[in-house]
Amino acid sequence: MYTIELNKIRKCYDSFVAVDDLSFNIEQGAVFGLLGPNGAGKTSTIRMMIGITVPDAGQIQMFGKPFERKSLQRVGYLPEESGLYKKMKIVDQLIFLGELHGLEAGAARQRAMAWGERMEISGWLDKKVEELSKGMQQKIKFIATLLHDPDFIIMDEPFSGLDPVNALLLKDVLLDLKGKGKTILFSTHQMDQVEKLCDSICLIDHGKAVLQGDLKQIKAQYGKNNVQIEYEGDGDFLKKTQLVGSYNNYGNYVEVRLAPGADSQQLLRAVAERSRISKFELMEPSLEEIFIDTVGKNDA
Amino acid sequence: MRNIFLITKREYLERVRSRAFLIMTIFIPALMLAMTAGPVLLATRARGGPKHLVVAVTDRQTGDLIREELEKRHIDPASSLNGTSEAPRFQVEVDTNVSEAERAALVEKVKTGVVGGVIWASDEALAVNKATFISRDVSNLADQELVRQDLSRAAHKLALQKKGLNDTEIAAALKPLDVETVNPRGGAPSNPLAAFLAPFAMAMIMYVTVLLYGINVMRAVLDEKTSRVMEVMLSTVTAREMMIGKIAGVGAAGLTQVGIWAAAGGIFSAQGLSMMAGAKMFRGMVTPELAICFPVFFLLGFTLFSTMYAAVGAMANSEQETQQLQFLVAMPLIASVIVLMQVLQNPSTPLGVWASLFPFTAPLIMFTRIALDPTAVPVWQIILSIVLLVLTIYGLAILCGRIYRVGILMYGKKPTVPEIVKWIKYA
Repeated sequence: MYTIELNKIRKCYDSFVAVDDLSFNIEQGAVFGLLGPNGAGKTSTIRMMIGITVPDAGQIQMFGKPFERKSLQRVGYLPEESGLYKKMKIVDQLIFLGELHGLEAGAARQRAMAWGERMEISGWLDKKVEELSKGMQQKIKFIATLLHDPDFIIMDEPFSGLDPVNALLLKDVLLDLKGKGKTILFSTHQMDQVEKLCDSICLIDHGKAVLQGDLKQIKAQYGKNNVQIEYEGDGDFLKKTQLVGSYNNYGNYVEVRLAPGADSQQLLRAVAERSRISKFELMEPSLEEIFIDTVGKNDA
Repeated sequence: MRNIFLITKREYLERVRSRAFLIMTIFIPALMLAMTAGPVLLATRARGGPKHLVVAVTDRQTGDLIREELEKRHIDPASSLNGTSEAPRFQVEVDTNVSEAERAALVEKVKTGVVGGVIWASDEALAVNKATFISRDVSNLADQELVRQDLSRAAHKLALQKKGLNDTEIAAALKPLDVETVNPRGGAPSNPLAAFLAPFAMAMIMYVTVLLYGINVMRAVLDEKTSRVMEVMLSTVTAREMMIGKIAGVGAAGLTQVGIWAAAGGIFSAQGLSMMAGAKMFRGMVTPELAICFPVFFLLGFTLFSTMYAAVGAMANSEQETQQLQFLVAMPLIASVIVLMQVLQNPSTPLGVWASLFPFTAPLIMFTRIALDPTAVPVWQIILSIVLLVLTIYGLAILCGRIYRVGILMYGKKPTVPEIVKWIKYA
């Protein structure tokens, strides 16, 4: 059973193609990552899913039915950079948004209170939004998205503006929801979060899907031909050697992808000749590397 | 429907509960009161007791006559605000010395403020029908006019006395003619000032509220756009529901405000408080026709303009960007006020009739024509005016709705005219 199915959807703005024959399905209870660089068409895709815009071509099925507005009462959407009414009391705002999603005012208030407790922000519910820090606002928006207990949760960059403690709180809530069979879609370019949470991903660039499927399988495809090296000394030669396919310097360490057919032991010897190695590890590529690799290749 | 109702409710409650609403509710009537009653209040307060005048005449009989006339003047009870309505306006002293030296001395007294003014009416001066009023307050037109009237009257009395008429005959001859203005409906004689001022004031209230609340709609849209509340809202309601709810909520708040003013004015005028010079004028002027017409034309006008303002708000990214467009939208309203001035003087000119049918000026002008004299406006014109307004609103709602729908999701650069045309064409 799929929560949402996109079949060759397409959206053009004049001559600019924002989404180009994009297809993917999200299984119920899955955590799905919609990835892509800025301007790849992530937000355009989400907007079509929830009926803000209509695709020029292709079909969208939600909860097994062609899209209808009534389905939106089962969807919770947290847009990127979304906002709240600055001058309105937070609890009133939550009730208002809850009512728009079909809740009764009384029930919405009770749920808002309960969520306030859980998100450790109860004391602030009577304040106005303008009195809150950015992180607190993000928590409130998070509550607003989940208040009506949606079956399909769409979150566009949900972790932006949250400190690690609150990010953890949020992650726990999401995992809890996943356990209850809710479907979650993340749109982000924060790869580490996706890696921790997602079951499957779709990487899009220029409106097209360039990589999609089960996250574990994708990483396995890339094999253990990535090496993380921590060393002291001159590392510039890594860029020049034939053994290295691609190279990323993260400051404290470098991550290299071996050239096809190259032997990791050969590389170890080569590095040892020129520097002191404190760590040399063979690993699966990080999602970030896959991302940069795929998108970079696509642009070239 | 539920969504529209929820949006309307939120918009209405947030507005009515806001401090700005409270301030406006008190401030606008206070401003109007200050504009009508203020000058009177100031004029009366500033005077502070009767003005001391010296009348220089050749013989005492003439002097006494002039004094009699001037001392009859009291501070006008109708416009008095401090309760001492019976205080005499002038206190007059007769001086029969008309030498040049005395004149110089009197001028000196005026200069130093010992006396408030000197009336020089020597026989030589009166012989050529000329008197001089020496006063420091040359700009006090009211006093000058009163002195002129009283001197003329005294001069006429004197002339008639010399012809040998007795006091009763003189009084009969000088009795002023009372001209009464009656409207053709044959109702109670109306106060001509009120007949002009009440429709004018109501039209101005309509103008100010339509403009103010129209701009409020624009600000609300802009606010939702810049704070990105829009994105959250759109995940559950349509752009159309948002636009309708917004306009309805702000409009209801505007009507509430006008309603409060009307109720307050009604209470004040019913109590006959002399303080409310403005409200008094409205007494009897707010006929049932107007009580219906005002909300009808206010709502039509507000809907028309706020629909355009909503589109302006959706197009822009900041308040500065809206300036030019705002002016463009407000133009018909400003033109209405200019036409209004002509209509007030003559409600049935072709310009007035056309302006009351043309949808963008109709709310203000048609209302004013009805307010001036409901019987003078043919019923078909009223109906046509309303029908045209409704049709225009419908067309604009479709057009602006399209601009709105696309505009609220567009950030960054200000759209060009061809781009907006494209937005409208998006099905």
